[in-house]
Amino acid sequence: MANPNRLLIVDDNEDILSTFYEFFNSMGYEVKTAVDGFAALKLMRDKSNFFDCLITDLVMPNISGVGLISIVKKEYPHLKIIAMTGYGDQPGALASEAAADIVLFKPIDLFKIENTVSELINQANNNKKN
Amino acid sequence: MSTPLIGVSKSILKIKELINHVANTCLNVLITGETGVGKEVVAQNLYAESARSTKNFVKINCAALPETLLESELFGFEKGAFTGAHKKRPGKFQTADKGVLFLDEIGDMPMALQSKMLHVLQSGEFSPLGSDQEFRTDVWVIAATNHNLEQSIHKKTFREDLFYRLNIIKIDVPPLRERKEDIPSLLEYYYRLYRSEYPDNHGSKPDSEIVAKLCNYPWPGNVRQLQNCIKKQMILNSWAKIIEDLPHEYSETIPQIETDSRLKDASSLKRNEFDDDRTAIISKFVDLSTSSDKLFEDISLKKIKKLASDRVEKEVIMFVLEKLGWNRSRAAKILKISYKTLLYKMNEFEIFPPVK
Repeated sequence: MANPNRLLIVDDNEDILSTFYEFFNSMGYEVKTAVDGFAALKLMRDKSNFFDCLITDLVMPNISGVGLISIVKKEYPHLKIIAMTGYGDQPGALASEAAADIVLFKPIDLFKIENTVSELINQANNNKKN
Repeated sequence: MSTPLIGVSKSILKIKELINHVANTCLNVLITGETGVGKEVVAQNLYAESARSTKNFVKINCAALPETLLESELFGFEKGAFTGAHKKRPGKFQTADKGVLFLDEIGDMPMALQSKMLHVLQSGEFSPLGSDQEFRTDVWVIAATNHNLEQSIHKKTFREDLFYRLNIIKIDVPPLRERKEDIPSLLEYYYRLYRSEYPDNHGSKPDSEIVAKLCNYPWPGNVRQLQNCIKKQMILNSWAKIIEDLPHEYSETIPQIETDSRLKDASSLKRNEFDDDRTAIISKFVDLSTSSDKLFEDISLKKIKKLASDRVEKEVIMFVLEKLGWNRSRAAKILKISYKTLLYKMNEFEIFPPVK
């Protein structure tokens, strides 16, 4: 199999984290997880340019999803970002401002998000070739 | 010159690490924690480690000023904009341009101002009072509060949209009692600081017994309170006196801010509520401020029962009388006692109708 796509999933809800982890693993992705923005940032800075896509919840302690997205967009501009929100418009609007590629509302349809991830990564790969 | 963030506890080390990672992002930060816990110190450390450390650090306390004054301080005003505006004055948003604006006690900002604040944060533009001109500003906002803003949002005293814009990075500073291991390092730091600031002082370093006592005190005023104690000690040179003078109404203070660690302490919190209720009831009939020995000498169950029942009777009689417009014959019927008895009790408990 060609190089698996590498995902970083960030959510302070451990149930969601493990569900996503199991699902994307079974779909052939290489998955790393983090329980908050701070842990995610440390992971990313540790392995620069390792990930293809970031999926992050928005409302989290310490570094919020919005904060994480802002930082990531600056430091890793080619990384694709999907933001997840369940808290109404406010954090979602901020995520768009911070230039997340897609904002999805909870509850998340797993197949839909996988579709979105693969589309975004393909887009990125095509851009790289051109 | 900024105060360093002092401590060896996991929470302080984590905060230092967080500051390290985010200082250069200049994303809005919300710092939460009890009074005196070190929120401003965190803000100054963020500023010092950022690329903006050469620009202004501008501070404003949102609780200290009335709304109109707060508005004019933040946005500035034109000459003649209102009575007393003798000349033009730039607002903090202007003087903090390219630097940091530290909004202390943001939980106390009036709603109308919150809307104006939100507009500046969203657009980067503002107008001074009395002017139509729009100014641009590039300000790094660091806000601090000892309120629980999520609760304030529910109570409609704080705007949700403003909250999410300020809460991009959230740093919670736990109270000193939840990180007792930091107390020795704080003692060391302030002892050294004041020894050099007041070279003629008579202060002495606390011995391990004193340090243990200090670590067991709940420090409702946190680091600021500890700092003041150390200063006092420098002058009085008696740690025993300092400890004696510490307010001891708190057996275990309940923190004002919700933190994750509270979930673990739920059982101890329950105990606290009962302790407080019990103390509240007892203190009405028993003088709790005397020493234990005297207290035990004076206490008598019979005496307390009489005091308690008299007090309850008095309150119930007054309650009924007030409801009935002080009609005593009706009150006696309601209370199911004779009119004579009511008059007797009113005399005994000194219950008089309000003087018109």
